[in-house]
Amino acid sequence: MHRKITYTFPRMGYSYAAFESFFKILGYDVMVPDPSNSKTLKEGVSNSPQGMCFPFKILLGQFAKLLKENPDKYFKIVSLESYGPCRFGYYSPLYNKILEDMGVTNFEVVNVEGIYPPWYKGVPRFIKKLVKLVGWHAPWAGVRAFVIAGWKVYAVERLERKFYHLIPREKVSGSSEKAFNRAFERIHHAPNKVKSIKKILNEELKKMDQIDHIDDVELPKVGLVGEAYMLMDYSNNLEIEKKLAYMGVDIDRSLWVTNWTLDRLLKTKQHLKHMKEVNKGYLDFFIGGDGQESIMNTILYKKKGFDGVIQVLPFGCLPETAAKQILSNVSEDYDVPVLSLSFDEQTGDAGFVTRLEAFVDMLKSRREIKSKESKAKKAESVTTR
Amino acid sequence: MKIGIPRGLYFYVYYPLWYGFFTSLGHDVILSMPTNKEILNTGVSSAVDDICISVKVYHGHVKHLLGKKDVDHVFVPRIVSEDKYKYTCPKLAAMPDLIKSAFRKNEKKLLSVVMYMNQGKKALHEAFSEVGKKIGENDDRKIKKALKAGIELQDKATMCLRKEHNFLEVVSSIQNLDSLLEKPVKKERYTVALAGFPYDVYDGYMNGDVIKRLQDTNMRVVVTDMLEPKLYKHYTKYMIKDLFWHQANVAAKGGMYYMDSKDIDGVITISSFNCGISAVYEKLLDLYSKETGKPLMHIVVDEQTGDAGLVTRIEAFLDLIRVKRGDGLVAS
Repeated sequence: MHRKITYTFPRMGYSYAAFESFFKILGYDVMVPDPSNSKTLKEGVSNSPQGMCFPFKILLGQFAKLLKENPDKYFKIVSLESYGPCRFGYYSPLYNKILEDMGVTNFEVVNVEGIYPPWYKGVPRFIKKLVKLVGWHAPWAGVRAFVIAGWKVYAVERLERKFYHLIPREKVSGSSEKAFNRAFERIHHAPNKVKSIKKILNEELKKMDQIDHIDDVELPKVGLVGEAYMLMDYSNNLEIEKKLAYMGVDIDRSLWVTNWTLDRLLKTKQHLKHMKEVNKGYLDFFIGGDGQESIMNTILYKKKGFDGVIQVLPFGCLPETAAKQILSNVSEDYDVPVLSLSFDEQTGDAGFVTRLEAFVDMLKSRREIKSKESKAKKAESVTTR
Repeated sequence: MKIGIPRGLYFYVYYPLWYGFFTSLGHDVILSMPTNKEILNTGVSSAVDDICISVKVYHGHVKHLLGKKDVDHVFVPRIVSEDKYKYTCPKLAAMPDLIKSAFRKNEKKLLSVVMYMNQGKKALHEAFSEVGKKIGENDDRKIKKALKAGIELQDKATMCLRKEHNFLEVVSSIQNLDSLLEKPVKKERYTVALAGFPYDVYDGYMNGDVIKRLQDTNMRVVVTDMLEPKLYKHYTKYMIKDLFWHQANVAAKGGMYYMDSKDIDGVITISSFNCGISAVYEKLLDLYSKETGKPLMHIVVDEQTGDAGLVTRIEAFLDLIRVKRGDGLVAS
């Protein structure tokens, strides 16, 4: 029986707009799972293995809700995976087994893994998977969809960066959030042309610049490192970036969809160089996931003059837990405060905010002490002269 | 020189190899004592709190060896992969770094090496010649000979395992494996299979002495590492995709093999709390046991494990097995 296929994919942060348009340009139906709420979380948690990574539980719940709500549709779940020592590579077989066990049958999981050795088997397998994913298309159609989706990802990221930059500086609280939401919606529903996406992006950036804000303020700077999904998906890390920004912190996130894919898949030279230089003596070995990146970025942030680093990890994440232990040493050696926040299904809002506030207060007082010290030094040098 | 080997993690797999290597180079091998409360406590306090209990216990063992004055080096290998395109858990691949970060003062005492068990003898030889250099043995021929002796011992140990002697017996009679080979295995009415990582299954303190408890109640105990890998090759199809971790593969597929075989009465999986990988294979075994109808029990160990609750669970499981066989309950 031939049924019309609806595509769906893991929702991650604001990037879903781009993935959605990728499939739309190729002419498919696509549905994005809703952001998780307590009900989907509960469903995901109760059906997945107890010690499994938190992102898996989140995604399982979201997919289960979507599939159950649309029993008349046939879904293709797209799962981008790695092939490595981290559990991320075994998501799709488990989706398959567990959703079937839950009594949902209107789906099929397509996993797209990177090319893994041996390459003579890996390359054809990769192409086969791609064909299975999007069907036969003229190559240029695929490339066009990819380019437009890439531009959308880029545009959303630019807006997001601007948004987090503006929040602690705005004069009227909430004005930049309003502007960002409008801009995101515009990008989301932009016509599928690179030109128009560019135009909208420039317009909206200009509009955001016009928001009433003070530019020259000294703010404590915090870098965010950690596991990619938890870091990028705002709905599951309790909007840590927005919260920090509203506390008056200049934040910078280390992983974005663009630099993650570029660094990881294309292995940019700068990335490799940093990895080698910085991780020496701490974690010289690739352990999958983003473990090495967390350590690398922490050190790089310190070198850039950041005041503190927050590591975001899902509870029980294999590589990040290893990184967490080593980060305590990095923090000692480089004199940079590191706060590790591990998220699980029980994470409550209130306790979380308290911890963040305490951390930010600590950073602020450290800054004051440091500026006093430097002032004293200056005064000293003046008097001795 | 005296080389300390912590009694944890891959000790329960490659001990014969390491033992053979170091002793034939003329060094003494000193094992840390079997896990006890002290080791557990020091491990828990020196490792990060999110990490699995097996790694914490390993920290304890390393600390114990570092505290001994007569131990010159503590052997902490980084075992990356064990089979073609199969790796170990990320935490284990980062093991020397973790140990280094936990015991920074004694960094020089640690003897670490990157071991790829899959890439043939040449890679292994390179790795071990590095170990040799660190302990002052530069003669390549001697290292080759020592490595050969180690591999021989490891093969012999594997043969013992295939004959269904468990690894603890191998460890206790490491100097005389030939006699262990000839020793017959007692046949019992019931057989229970244990699936899990060797370092969880064989660590008696952590899992409440499951093996001994089962043997005391006249059960034959088999462990998944006793199986020839060829036997369970075909279960990949059920699993859709091979797991990346060799030991998890052994546990998952071996467990499925035992569920299908007629002379096994039940399967018990043993894993440590917050071990991410066992979460995957346990779910697979769960689903498979639903299909085959073989009794399956999960034991998850953590640092708080009390004996009493565990004993009750094991007894209940044994009763279930007896009832399934049609023997009825035995008043005890």
